[in-house]
Amino acid sequence: MKKFFALILMTATLMLTGCGGGGSDSGKLSVMLGSNVVSLDSAQATDLASFEVIADCIDGLTQFDAKGNPVPALAESYTISDDGKTYTFKLRDAKWANGDDVTAEDFVFAWRRHCQLANEYAYIFGNTAACIKNADAVTKGADPATLGVSAPDAKTLVVELEAPVIFFPSLMVFPTFYPINEKFYSSLDAGTYGTTPETFLSNGAFRLTGYLPGTANIQLEKNESYWNAENVALENFQYQVVTSSDNALTAFKNGTLNLAQISGNQVKHTQEDAELSKDLKIISTGLLQYLSFNQDPKNHHAGALSNANLRLAISNAIDRESLVGNYVMNGSRATYTAVPLDFAPNAKTGAYFAANQNQFADVIGFDIERARNFLDNAKAELGTDSFALNMIYANDGGDTVVKVAQAIKSQVEANLHGVTINLQPMPKAEYLTNVTSNNYDIALTNWAPDYNDPMSFFNLWTTEGCEIAEHWSNAAYDKIIADCTTGALAGDYDARWNAMYDAEKILLDNAVIAPLYTNASALLISPHVTGVEFHSVALERVFKNAKMN
Amino acid sequence: MTKYIAKRILLAAVTLFVIIFVLFVLIRIMPGNPFPVERMSAEMILQKRAELGLDKPILVQFADYMRMLLSGNFGNGTSLYNGAPIKPILLACLENSFKIGVLSIFFGTAVGLLTGIVAALNRGKFLDGLCTVLSILGVCIPSYVFMIFLQYFFAYKIPFFPYFFDPSRFLFSSIMPALSLSLFTISTVARFTRNEMVEVLNSDYVKLAESKGLQGFELMRRHVLRNALIPVVTVIAPLVVDLLTGAMVMEKIYGVNGVGKLMVDAIAGEGVDYNYVLALGIVFSSLYIGVMLLLDILYGIIDPRIRLSAKEAA
Repeated sequence: MKKFFALILMTATLMLTGCGGGGSDSGKLSVMLGSNVVSLDSAQATDLASFEVIADCIDGLTQFDAKGNPVPALAESYTISDDGKTYTFKLRDAKWANGDDVTAEDFVFAWRRHCQLANEYAYIFGNTAACIKNADAVTKGADPATLGVSAPDAKTLVVELEAPVIFFPSLMVFPTFYPINEKFYSSLDAGTYGTTPETFLSNGAFRLTGYLPGTANIQLEKNESYWNAENVALENFQYQVVTSSDNALTAFKNGTLNLAQISGNQVKHTQEDAELSKDLKIISTGLLQYLSFNQDPKNHHAGALSNANLRLAISNAIDRESLVGNYVMNGSRATYTAVPLDFAPNAKTGAYFAANQNQFADVIGFDIERARNFLDNAKAELGTDSFALNMIYANDGGDTVVKVAQAIKSQVEANLHGVTINLQPMPKAEYLTNVTSNNYDIALTNWAPDYNDPMSFFNLWTTEGCEIAEHWSNAAYDKIIADCTTGALAGDYDARWNAMYDAEKILLDNAVIAPLYTNASALLISPHVTGVEFHSVALERVFKNAKMN
Repeated sequence: MTKYIAKRILLAAVTLFVIIFVLFVLIRIMPGNPFPVERMSAEMILQKRAELGLDKPILVQFADYMRMLLSGNFGNGTSLYNGAPIKPILLACLENSFKIGVLSIFFGTAVGLLTGIVAALNRGKFLDGLCTVLSILGVCIPSYVFMIFLQYFFAYKIPFFPYFFDPSRFLFSSIMPALSLSLFTISTVARFTRNEMVEVLNSDYVKLAESKGLQGFELMRRHVLRNALIPVVTVIAPLVVDLLTGAMVMEKIYGVNGVGKLMVDAIAGEGVDYNYVLALGIVFSSLYIGVMLLLDILYGIIDPRIRLSAKEAA
């Protein structure tokens, strides 16, 4: 018995001597991540959290400046051929953290590998985005060596495209296009790349020091061998995965987190707090929340939604200002275009693509009378007076979407007599299955752009893009999109830009979707933290230039 | 005896097999896409499913899975999301959960025993009542309430402990998680110890020892504790396994990279997928079955009557 007590005493002493005291680790930047990192392998990552951490550690050919314009990173400079179809990148002298040089071969290896794996983001190499030669064929099984990317020497990377892609430099910011050191990769066991700090090699601003798939805590420290290390101020920082916004707010208040994301409800509470309100920052994210209407006539509700008037009626019966003001409440803004606000600036004028929110005011807006007229037409055309429609949505991403769904239901039912909406909340995995298997009438959904061009949205609604959702097909629309991506307009900036407005008009005249709002992110940032850059596309936050005072 | 043990082991193996089968089939027929993607064409999704073997009939998939398990390469399965092998991740998480679990069991047992002994020695008095009330509270309060309470008071109001688990200060930041898990253990052990002690204290041989002049600590050590604690040991073993369920909530709240959090994330599909649910299900069930098997065998050794009745039943 004596021994037993002695043991307890000893353990207690041991435990206390190990204590440093004090709750938060002051001086070290601690950033909230709202979800787990799926993978640090750029060919496997599919989510913003993963992309953000990869970009902390690995540089691509280009990077965003503070305003979101692409500027050279690993590429020192690049030239574009006269036909706009060949990019030649000159790489700067940069090193991987193990001392190897970063070479053009590292890009060739990573890109071929990704196309060959044919994972979710392999699409971005193909003709809907980067248009790299043979990319679509390689994802379908062709020899990866035929991919239009080559390394004539260690510091030169040549990329051949199927068509001129005017946003190609901005596309290169996306982590999917980042290099992987082939020698390092080949030395690892299959499938282990990027699963621990030891199996991940950085060439960027930071090195990984603590990580495990599914981890709640990711540790990074400055990479001294980074080509631009002299301009990196942070010695180290950490990510903390926090899925509850209540937890996030408390942890921010006690200093455990220096940067946290909060929910719409908390924004109000924060604004009323004199101290906290100073730390509040609203960031526009480029994520468009919208209603997707399933137009497949074979759909189990007899395809009522293949009637354009019914879709227009619903779209015009929704009070978007009330949605964002009373239910979302995190600074999100009502949107009346198919492309979200504060996204895709015109390279010449700098104006955002969706700057004019009134250009489709004749078909989209909150106008009960107009909505009822549309509904009357729909009733006459379809020969029925009542429509029962199912609306599905994923409910595992917080309660905002649940409140929005309920608000839409009550607005539509109150404003349109005869239309009833049955809400069907479900987990995201099940929701996606229902969308892909055509088992829905209306989906409350959203889309985040992958590159800084309106095409990141317009590609969704071509006949091919609609295959897994709206089941809408319009030859004129398809033609404009084809012209703008691989066709005649691809290389003509202004003509392409204007043609995209024509495409958007077709989309909204037909109410293929009902845009709702551009999502914002309400953040709390400690006054000690400066220099964090926020972007509405690809990389939500960049910490290279961040400082912690 | 050998026959009894062999029978128990066989039964355990069959139970495990049935569990794996049910788990496997349930997970495969669950609604929802095992492979939730938004940026793939229908054709590419089919190609990917075929690559992962998800297009085969469920029984064939199950046979493949069992073959993989039985090849001695347990955990050779890979994640559907990123192709990463599950085993190293599982082991790392098990290690974290195990460390905190051990700390919590150790703490829980120590405090529980102490509380139980104090209560028994003061039976009928104020201290006994206090200990009883506390241990009943400990059983009644859902552990997550206690966890959030601890986090709120000792990391937020009085910022002594780290708010989230910090792997770089493992032991220090394990204290709150371990403490919050040990609440149930403390209460259970305390109640059990008290009752056993009271029984032993009232027994004839203790009264005899007392009448012979044995007193205080010596009496406790030689007669009371030795006899009272043997049954207590038997409640601790199942409690160890109960920790796993508590760990699911605890690890999520404090952000500990353990098997509990891994399980919750895998079910929700947050970064880890349903191959993890299967692997973790097998690990959890094996642990449960293993502990129960051990207990069965121990009981058999301690108490020959159990062996006999098993023989008769057979």
